[in-house]
Amino acid sequence: MRRIPTFILPTALCGAAALLTLAYGQPDAVFSFPLQVDSVRFAIIGDSGTGDAKQAAVAAQMVRARSQFPFGFVLMMGDNIYGGHSNADLKRKFDIPYGDLLSAGVQFYACLGNHDSENERFYAPFNMNGKRYYNFRKGNVEFFALDSNYMDPGQLDWLIQQLAVSTAGWKICYFHHPLYSNARFHGPDLDLRQRLEPILMKFSVNAVLSGHEHVYERLQKQHGIYYFVLGNSGELRPNDLRPSPQTAKGFDTGRAFALFEVTGDQLYFKTISENGQVVDSGSLPKQPTAVAWLGRAEQLLR
Amino acid sequence: MMPAVAMVSILAVMCAEQERVNADSAIIQTFLTRVNDYVKLRKKALQGLPAPSHSMKRGDLLKEQQRMAERIAVARPEAKQGDICSPEIAAELRRLIGISLNSPGAEKLRASFRKQDKAPTPLKVNAVFPDRLPMPTAPPTLLINLPQLPPEVDYRFVGRALVLRDTTAGSIIDFVPDALPVPQ
Repeated sequence: MRRIPTFILPTALCGAAALLTLAYGQPDAVFSFPLQVDSVRFAIIGDSGTGDAKQAAVAAQMVRARSQFPFGFVLMMGDNIYGGHSNADLKRKFDIPYGDLLSAGVQFYACLGNHDSENERFYAPFNMNGKRYYNFRKGNVEFFALDSNYMDPGQLDWLIQQLAVSTAGWKICYFHHPLYSNARFHGPDLDLRQRLEPILMKFSVNAVLSGHEHVYERLQKQHGIYYFVLGNSGELRPNDLRPSPQTAKGFDTGRAFALFEVTGDQLYFKTISENGQVVDSGSLPKQPTAVAWLGRAEQLLR
Repeated sequence: MMPAVAMVSILAVMCAEQERVNADSAIIQTFLTRVNDYVKLRKKALQGLPAPSHSMKRGDLLKEQQRMAERIAVARPEAKQGDICSPEIAAELRRLIGISLNSPGAEKLRASFRKQDKAPTPLKVNAVFPDRLPMPTAPPTLLINLPQLPPEVDYRFVGRALVLRDTTAGSIIDFVPDALPVPQ
């Protein structure tokens, strides 16, 4: 997709209130999901577990969106539960805000953030089955949920093994700490990038999703891989983005979630704010092959 | 004559290096033996407790974690800093960390540390990491150079300390103060 970062200042209307929203990049005015019969449809949220009204507002928009775009599951980018992890906390920060989705049979697949308790991996609605990192397949897409808090050699070996045997047409990795980010507060995790990116390149991972930064950012393709950062489904760090040429699109003045549809050779996405405004959308073609990056990946792995 | 002298010198250096490697290896072995002893003690202490399971009701997990930490603390009431990470082991772990921090590309590693959330966490053996504070991450480049631990134990960096932590009970097993250099 041809995207040139530019500054626009659209005025978003939500009910009677006019909200000033700063977004970076051009919106795709004619975008719509294909809603193909055999496609894989899901939502993503990140840094969501605050238990406050803003998290609830995003959740309400997810329910609204699902009536038009029936997704079957949600990927959680970590920081799923901020603060305490008591019975009441889990209820207030997860069960209640996403109650309508849970009742409708929507499944959640979490990864761990730095604010999460590791024992969330045993929390049944997060579908982690007691594991810090795990993979699962939906249709032609295989998802790899990683624990970027503790990327030990055992986890890296596991990822290499699983990616090597994966026969899925699309491979999507998600974990909390972004490898690329233009937010000021944390920025990219360079050490993690140094260790992980060569593996992602070597095994032709198509897309990488992360949170941690409390903004939304879609990046230009990096070494053949699509990167999304979405860490503002509950928390928000206003005006924290400093777009660079890497930035394809950014949104840092409100909360958001994203919808994805993966068909045979296209990934369609739409990012929606807590007010229901579409802040980013488009389609990305499946990368033809990783051959172009194999040499570089091997070099980095050495 | 000169080549023979040079050869002897090289052999002497190699022998000295080999001795140092063997000594380092023995220290690491001692460390891992102590960690494994902890795992055995832990297993015994937790007998009778239900293992955390994804079938547990919400909230019960937190109680189970607390119960586990209490049982482990009771099983090692005299445990104190340095029991596992003795001064000799602490020195070796600091050396291994130093290798990572001085390797090519170490600037990325140091940058990762600078980006950590700065949350003051008091360290005390047998105490549980407070779940209200962000969990410090462990940069992968350091983990690659440190001795591999069994799944019941992990490393965490808190401030400048290297912490050995029980992964399920969440309690501090031991720690090495000043494992990281003073930030520049």
